[in-house]
Amino acid sequence: MRIRKKVVFEVLLGIVGLAVGIVGVLALREATLSTHEKVGGRGTKLVVDADTKGGEEGQTLEEMVEAQLNTCRLEVSSDVVGELEALGDGRFRTTLEPTLDETNERQFRGCVEDWVIDHLKVDVVDLHSIPER
Amino acid sequence: MKTIAWLAGIGTLLAGTFYMIVSLNRWEWNRALFFGLIVVIAEVALATGLVLRRLARMEHKLRFDPQIAEILRETRPPSRDRFAWLRETTTGRTNVFITFVVAGGVIISGIAWVVDRIASKTSSPAGEERLVRQLAEISYPSGGLLLDDVTVLAQEVPGASDEQIRQLLRRGGYR
Repeated sequence: MRIRKKVVFEVLLGIVGLAVGIVGVLALREATLSTHEKVGGRGTKLVVDADTKGGEEGQTLEEMVEAQLNTCRLEVSSDVVGELEALGDGRFRTTLEPTLDETNERQFRGCVEDWVIDHLKVDVVDLHSIPER
Repeated sequence: MKTIAWLAGIGTLLAGTFYMIVSLNRWEWNRALFFGLIVVIAEVALATGLVLRRLARMEHKLRFDPQIAEILRETRPPSRDRFAWLRETTTGRTNVFITFVVAGGVIISGIAWVVDRIASKTSSPAGEERLVRQLAEISYPSGGLLLDDVTVLAQEVPGASDEQIRQLLRRGGYR
């Protein structure tokens, strides 16, 4: 009797584990799926905090951030407009046009905060669309 | 110490899995790859640890206990002397050696018979023909050494000097 209960418990545990796994994979698939849509606005404003450690001597922090942003803009359908504005203390600001939709925002933020360029760490402080006038 | 190592391995696996999923969810592919690598390393380490632990348990179960071995040695019955008959005296009686001799003779005869049969089958027709040619040189004439009367008379008649007649008479031993 005890053995039978144990078997039933193990089967139930297996079913629960399988269900959790399937739901998890589906949720992850949904979270990483690109679904683009048309959005209004004059563009997307980006503010980042950047820091470097052990980088090349000839490369400035601004150059590295610019390179990171140029790399990441290739993953979305917007371009960096204008110069990268240094706000001081490792903070930079720029604008992307046209406005990023929700998926592109997530993708761009993920790329900017990812380990793309060695010795560079970038955190997105602000990323929001600029409303129409 | 072992417990700490196991906890560290399991903790690394769980944390790596968690951060890998978080990185995937944030679209940070390089980070996700890195944490995935950490997960694989932790997984391999834990699996290796589990296998080694199982092997250690098996070795412990199979460990040689000298006390039990000593008991077995002491209680072991004396082994049977299967060749005691070799030491028995054979004076005045025939022992099992006769059986061996007879059986050995039968076996050797059988082997000789088999060899003879095989050898008889290996004599080729070509070898026989060669032997025939060699023996033909020293064989007697087919008609024998003595001539019959007809042959003798035929050699005396006119025309016996003809080459064709000589050819016919050659097998009869023309003189």
